[in-house]
Amino acid sequence: MKVLLVGEGAREHAIADALVRSPQEPRLYAVMGLKNPGIARLCDHTGGEVRLGKPTDPSFVADAAERFSVDFVFIGPEEPQFHGVADEVERRGIPCVGARRAPSEIEMSKAFMRRLMWKYKIPGRLRFMAFKDIDDAIAYIEEYAESVALKPARQAGGKGVKVIADLQAYLKKEKEEVKKKHVKSIVKEHMRPYTDIEDKILIEQKVEGPEYTLQCFTDGRVVKPLPLVQDNKNAYEMDIGPETGGMGSISGPGVTLPFISMEEYRESVEIVQQTVRAIERETGEPYRGIIAGQMMLTALWGPTIIEFYSRFGDPEAVNVLPILETDLVEIAEAIISQSLNKVKLEFRDVATVVKCIAPMGYPNRRDLARGHPIVVEEDRILENGGRVFYGSINSKNGGMITGGSRAAEIFAEAESIPKASEIAEKCISFVYLKDDWKLFHRSDIGSEVLLRERVEIAELIREIYRYRREKGLIGRQIDWIPGRGRIEYEF
Amino acid sequence: MSRDRCGIFGIYAFDENWNVSRFVYYGLVALQNRGQETSGMAVFNGKKVEVLKGRGLAENFFTSSSVEALTGWVGIGHVSPLNPESDDNIQPVCVNGDVKVALGYNGKVLNCNELTGEKVSEDGDPMAIATALAENLKHSDPLEAMEALMEKMRGAYSLVALTDKGEMIVARDPKGIKPLVIGSFGFDHGTVASESAAIDVVGADLKADIMPGEIYVITPYSIERKRVCREEEKYCAFEYVYLCRPDSVINGMSIYEVRMKIGEYLAKEFPVDADVVIGVPETAIPFAMAYSNATGIPIHMGFVRSGRSVRTAIRPTQFERLVGVQLKLNPIRKAIRGKRVVLIDDSVVRGTTTRNIVNLMRNRIGAKEVHVRIGSSRLVSPCPFGVEVPEKDELIAAHLSEEEVSKVVGADTFAWLSLEGMIKAIGLPKNKLCLGCFTGEYPYLEENK
Repeated sequence: MKVLLVGEGAREHAIADALVRSPQEPRLYAVMGLKNPGIARLCDHTGGEVRLGKPTDPSFVADAAERFSVDFVFIGPEEPQFHGVADEVERRGIPCVGARRAPSEIEMSKAFMRRLMWKYKIPGRLRFMAFKDIDDAIAYIEEYAESVALKPARQAGGKGVKVIADLQAYLKKEKEEVKKKHVKSIVKEHMRPYTDIEDKILIEQKVEGPEYTLQCFTDGRVVKPLPLVQDNKNAYEMDIGPETGGMGSISGPGVTLPFISMEEYRESVEIVQQTVRAIERETGEPYRGIIAGQMMLTALWGPTIIEFYSRFGDPEAVNVLPILETDLVEIAEAIISQSLNKVKLEFRDVATVVKCIAPMGYPNRRDLARGHPIVVEEDRILENGGRVFYGSINSKNGGMITGGSRAAEIFAEAESIPKASEIAEKCISFVYLKDDWKLFHRSDIGSEVLLRERVEIAELIREIYRYRREKGLIGRQIDWIPGRGRIEYEF
Repeated sequence: MSRDRCGIFGIYAFDENWNVSRFVYYGLVALQNRGQETSGMAVFNGKKVEVLKGRGLAENFFTSSSVEALTGWVGIGHVSPLNPESDDNIQPVCVNGDVKVALGYNGKVLNCNELTGEKVSEDGDPMAIATALAENLKHSDPLEAMEALMEKMRGAYSLVALTDKGEMIVARDPKGIKPLVIGSFGFDHGTVASESAAIDVVGADLKADIMPGEIYVITPYSIERKRVCREEEKYCAFEYVYLCRPDSVINGMSIYEVRMKIGEYLAKEFPVDADVVIGVPETAIPFAMAYSNATGIPIHMGFVRSGRSVRTAIRPTQFERLVGVQLKLNPIRKAIRGKRVVLIDDSVVRGTTTRNIVNLMRNRIGAKEVHVRIGSSRLVSPCPFGVEVPEKDELIAAHLSEEEVSKVVGADTFAWLSLEGMIKAIGLPKNKLCLGCFTGEYPYLEENK
């Protein structure tokens, strides 16, 4: 058994780790841009090999798959999917886990995703406007002073999203100014590298509530959910600071989170299921791989879609893959042969916490975060009960250098989230830089304080959406605009 | 004279597209309850720190155009009830050496002479602290610089400083005497303020109390947080009873809830047969509501205020104080005439305000009886850390019994909430509170004896 893994982050390290645990003892091969020391070592141990190059280049990946004559390819990140890596690999007759170009549009184009949800009347959708042109977006912003999320219409490495609550009339001017400046930077900065999509800017209604990620395996027919994970997007402690790809995440024990009910969990799975069916109807292609709903419990709907991932989340993958008891190779084979219904997913019934460690400068000044010699004392981390997954680290001449993003992720499991967090905290100091630059992480992730806050917000939101359901208000929003009168939005 | 209570505010935008000066302005307006004599802000625009400060209430001193002229994505602000002699000592004070620092603080550092090695004038303490911080910043990073300063400083302080590199330094004294909270606006701002109400007013969400002895350093690409020293907490009790806005949450406790509890305990300790409960605006309103709820005596609106809320104890002269009360509170005769009134107020300092109100109700309007209940226990001592309480000679509670006070103010009965009642209402263990104004025993001063 031979497997080729595409990607180089901590998420891929966790996938690699789960693959090589298989009783089928696969040889692991990997295609990556930076040489992730964790994945490279697993390739080495299993007798596989590493190919450095562009994971987004379909023929480069397919060539590697052919050369190593692997049994299947497993794609970790989204960009290779957007570039059609799965399509090319399958064209050459090699099976692949990971969405093809067309289905991956569920993540690539946020405008496609919203249109699809509206067309197929999938619950958990939000009002939105998509713009191709800066001036149109600015005209809209000038007309409507409202709380919005401004996003690049395409997935742009998780960057460029700005969420602005616009509730104080006396601060409206400053907020309007920032909204306008931001749509300009979306087009001129964040969307600049991408020519594969027409829409540029998405303006969505802002919603509030606790967020969570529902990751699922799918073979296009059935959707098999993993335990819920909650990621923490603010860079700094106490949910302060700029948006990152995620600074750490929590899960368990069990399939849901302390602030999400089983009923909400089931409704969330139903949303993902409906979406997978809608994608196939719309694109005519089956969805084979991983799909994740980045969700929020809102007063508008209850479970609501903020974004979709056509892959595992990072760090969310690192919470659930280490506790996956089912053989990941078997799951991959079932996805390929569309027999996922026969697989029973099992996880250790524990709470997990993942804490990301990043060099200072991440996320807004990656130039400052890049190029620092880093040390990971893996033995000490294991001694303290944690595990480390390598992220944005490049192995060079026997040493390791930071790549500018989250360098490493510490995983810990225990019977409760705060206990797992304590274990992770003990491990943090065994990752450090050899120069005078600093690393940072969030000590508050998984703490009682933060958990309590999430539970309180969820309880408040739950009361409102239940009330709205009882009153038949779900899927409706009523406004009155001077000069235009009563406006009802039917969802 | 003591360094009075002040209000501090700070906002850090993580995206340079923001202009935060109006946020600072509204943050300061929200903190006007903590200082009405001077107002100031300092804003960093990527190149330098610009300062706008002067005398007067924030709402009066700043104008729409003066605020708009100040642009930047990091800002700090300060309001004070004190009028320093020199304009330079209006906060935020500025040190313009090799390292430029603007700084504002709330509290009183007792050993400023030791910080700079020079004699520090009456109102020179903020400048002394800023100078010492700037000196430390010459050869250490902001966290180390602040930590070294905190090892030396003794007293009460919540402070916010801004450097010309765009670093914002925030610190709270090891006993947490003065309040300080931190909030967040999405992915865009971190916000610090003396009171959580200011965080609400600028649209951010309250996240946490800055812990006693804790430092936050915010830079364009990091927040470093360190609790550098840990002593037994001594949260100022007067903040709960009198200083804070009722919509604030301080040290994890809702001020409103504490004040409702105070009214309950007042009713329990000093019930009286009466027709109506009237609270003196504004601090005493929650006391009065809770007193009414607990006793079943209906509450009525007794006064309407003219102009904005300026605390009587702050106005500099006796004359202004008298004028202040009469102008501010116009009684609603219908609610008072012919009634047996329970009049609830927040504190009695000199007794002047209370005497005026009782006189007004009884002699001019015709209340049948007036029973005064005070929602704080006896104020017997001036505060060395800056709560604006006058010297002992001026404190009626330090000199007269309740019966005598009742005669001075012309009331039928008069009572202060007991110290035990007040502590229970606050809901924190006694040893975690600074009760100096009520007992004369203050942290740090005791150790010095």
